[in-house]
Amino acid sequence: MVREFELPDVGEGVAEGEIVDWLVEEGDAVEEDQPVAEVETDKAVVDVPSPVDGSVQEIHAEAGEMVPVGTVIITFAEEGDEATSTEEPTETDATTEESAATGDVETTAEGTADEETPTASGRVFAAPSARRLARELGVDIGSIDGSGPGGRVSEHDVQAAADDATGTDEEESDSPEPAATRVEDSSGANAGSTDSAGGGAAQTSSTGQPSASGSASSGAMAGESADRERTLAAPATRKLAEDSGIDIDAVPTDEERDGEAFVTPAAVESYAEAQQAAQDADRKALAGARDEERIPYRGVRRTIGQQMAESKYTAPHVTHHDEVDVTALVEARTDLKELADEQEISLSYMPFVMKACVAALREFPMVNSMLDEEAEEIVQKKYYNIGVATATDAGLMVPVVEDADRKNMLQLASEMNELVEKARERTISRDEMQGGTFTITNVGAIGGEYATPIVNHPEVAILALGAIKEKPRVVDGEIVPRKVMTLSLSIDHRVIDGAIAAQFTNRVEEFLQNPQRLLLEA
Amino acid sequence: MVVGDVTTGTDVLIIGAGPGGYVAAIRAGQLDLDVTLVEKEAYGGTCLNHGCIPSKALISATDVAHDASTAEEMGIHADPAVDLAGMVSWKDDVVEQLTSGVEKLCKANGVNLVEGRAEFAGENTVRVAHAGEGQGSETIEFEHAIVATGSRPMEIPNFEFDGEHIISSREALALDAVPESLVVVGAGYIGMELSTVFAKLGTDVTVVEMLDSVLPAYEDDVARVVKNRAEELGIDFYFGEGASEWEESGDGITVKTETEDGDISEFGAEKALVAVGREPVTDTLNLDAIGLATDEGGFLETDDRARTDVENVFAVGDVAGEPMLAHKGMKEGEVAVEVIAGEPSALDYQSVPAAVFTDPEIGTVGMTEEEAEEAGFSTVVGEMPMRASGRALTLGESDGFVRVVADDDAGFILGAQIVAPEASEMIAELGLAVEMGATLEDVAATIHTHPTLGEAVMEAVENARDRAIHTLNR
Repeated sequence: MVREFELPDVGEGVAEGEIVDWLVEEGDAVEEDQPVAEVETDKAVVDVPSPVDGSVQEIHAEAGEMVPVGTVIITFAEEGDEATSTEEPTETDATTEESAATGDVETTAEGTADEETPTASGRVFAAPSARRLARELGVDIGSIDGSGPGGRVSEHDVQAAADDATGTDEEESDSPEPAATRVEDSSGANAGSTDSAGGGAAQTSSTGQPSASGSASSGAMAGESADRERTLAAPATRKLAEDSGIDIDAVPTDEERDGEAFVTPAAVESYAEAQQAAQDADRKALAGARDEERIPYRGVRRTIGQQMAESKYTAPHVTHHDEVDVTALVEARTDLKELADEQEISLSYMPFVMKACVAALREFPMVNSMLDEEAEEIVQKKYYNIGVATATDAGLMVPVVEDADRKNMLQLASEMNELVEKARERTISRDEMQGGTFTITNVGAIGGEYATPIVNHPEVAILALGAIKEKPRVVDGEIVPRKVMTLSLSIDHRVIDGAIAAQFTNRVEEFLQNPQRLLLEA
Repeated sequence: MVVGDVTTGTDVLIIGAGPGGYVAAIRAGQLDLDVTLVEKEAYGGTCLNHGCIPSKALISATDVAHDASTAEEMGIHADPAVDLAGMVSWKDDVVEQLTSGVEKLCKANGVNLVEGRAEFAGENTVRVAHAGEGQGSETIEFEHAIVATGSRPMEIPNFEFDGEHIISSREALALDAVPESLVVVGAGYIGMELSTVFAKLGTDVTVVEMLDSVLPAYEDDVARVVKNRAEELGIDFYFGEGASEWEESGDGITVKTETEDGDISEFGAEKALVAVGREPVTDTLNLDAIGLATDEGGFLETDDRARTDVENVFAVGDVAGEPMLAHKGMKEGEVAVEVIAGEPSALDYQSVPAAVFTDPEIGTVGMTEEEAEEAGFSTVVGEMPMRASGRALTLGESDGFVRVVADDDAGFILGAQIVAPEASEMIAELGLAVEMGATLEDVAATIHTHPTLGEAVMEAVENARDRAIHTLNR
């Protein structure tokens, strides 16, 4: 039995993953549960185990490739029989010899639709016309997130998915094409015509949307130049060509209207881009390259980006800054650190700050809340899960220490250290980075004074710690050197007002200034 | 017709001109394929000649008489005289009109028609034996073949069809006189449709069913409406009994039945109609010649392109498996030809609607509530009893209901069961809804003409949303 193996859902809600590395090669024998691939999701790297005893027949995705969950990434031959795969290609032969009536797109269509992956409960909600288009374009309709009610997949969704898949950046125009005008050639705008607007003899030809398959394939051949005598195109298309410095008769197309070559705006654009790319390449070759590197924006990087954008564009941010004298805290921590070391726990300032924050959060429950916009309710959390923003090689991660209010200082320290270590080694699970109610980011560990951190949405507040520095302070009328730390609290102003932010910060400061007060907190 | 064995060639060879075959042939003609359609008997197949069409003709004609004679409530007092031979002759005219229409359509689309019985002779050839002594045979080479040979009524042991005492649906639709009494073996849809016809014509009908209910393929509450009505018409039911043997007695016959425990009963009647199901016709095809085998039920297995295990051989309609319904075969016929023509066609329909032309009718599409639950949906169900429909009351037919099953989360309509007058027509709207992925809201927000039976669909959908106007939302 040949067993096709789809990229499983490797974590709650993960839609796609990057194949970081294959741990097996085609032909390798595998045992059930043996890791065969490393897959990076938006947060973590996980091993994907083999579901069977047998051998690797074919690997369908390359290392570095981003694949949606549900895509077949590897085929196994289950123990007992090895090579049955050779039979499949004959399937497609049939279409070639059957091509009594039609063209070329269908060959791929048949192959792909056969591999359709079943969706949850096996049902895709889509109109027959959308399903037909999916077959035509070779798109697995089950893998498309529909934009209709309840996720119904429309023809537009299918087209968009197909465009994504082929990587063509064709523009899908919803508006009907304007009537095409027939012009003798591109320079023939003055060919005895009085119609200055159309710029041509303005003999309207029959119009209609270019077929999806037609425009897709015209994009594919955009690199080569055509050399026609005459070309049909809409006035807007001609203008586009002119603006792009392109001869419309050179734009390749395989579409025809009334037996004449017909050029769409998409064809002009892709041709222009191809020309541009070619010129760039030439220029680079001549002038010695201005070196650039393009790094894929995906995985952890993209997740961070999306999170940040969502937070910043959703929550109106206000940041409150202040300084706090932490001389006493520095002393207390120095004393306690030795004791902690005896238990082989590294005690940083963070657990003190966490404790101070929890105490202040209790007093200002709005700061420990989230906004449920749909329900139009503010949800005050009665638990205190503190996120600790952590810089890793892959980017920012936020491990969450759960129930910080119920743990003592050493427990907080050891748990946090462990989570931070896991985040840096990228062995941390998604669960361990979810469910936070408030976040602390220790920017000062690296340097700097103040920050304007972005709230870890849907939380509503984040506290950034600056570096502890010795600064001159006035104590009892005298200038003395004191240890001073800066605090920057960003809030979601929809939920928290500036006054609360200031009061909350004051309360945190009181605890940090007088750490013994933490003794009164459970 | 050609006499002697000559060989011709064709792109697409279709065996059987029933709904699957003739639709495939016409579509092939439309797609400019060189197509040959072989039919041994009559264009239109079982459906047009011995099934759907003649039975519907008789059901409608019978209803005219029966309705007239049972309309005292409406102030109509009539006792129509039924001349069965006349009725059958009218039905034959209808059939003739349709079958000759099919033939004309085929010709107009350039389909090459060949009369005779086809069997495979080799990987790419069939041999067609022409009907009649000395008419000879011909060999046709094909690129692609589509098997559309349909099905025939199933026999049970000791009850071979003899056309006189033991009849199948086919003969039942061509009787020249109304039998005084009839034992119907099998309470499936064919048995129930014909029992109703004969009961309305005055025949004393007894139905014997091995299982424990009428229309076992349908939900209990749906089947119950039909059974109650059938009993009102005077049909007697005996469940859990299988017909074991029969003998002639006087002018008629005596049918013996046996329960699982071995209890034996006897039923006297003029004739016995055996309607226990249909079996695919694949044994006449010499499938060995192309290296094809049937499954245990005699069906040809096909993929979602209607293709069999042999690359260039397709199977459509009843031979390709359940449900044995003409419209399913038609769809398969179209898809098979489109695939042959290289189009990206596939059998990707969500559901095959079904209708039973009993009194009242049944129309179903998609999933029942139970099936939807099993498929993992959390469901919501809406119903509208026909007694709350103004139009049903004005028709004097208020038995039954419309039920709609939907996905509770997104509101997608997953299926519907209708038992009501004109249920076969009403189901079409819900078939479209299921196929389009329409939601309850979509159908509810569509204005339905008043006063029509179709309004009941809207009301059932609204009921699922707790917003029905003409019933209480429970």
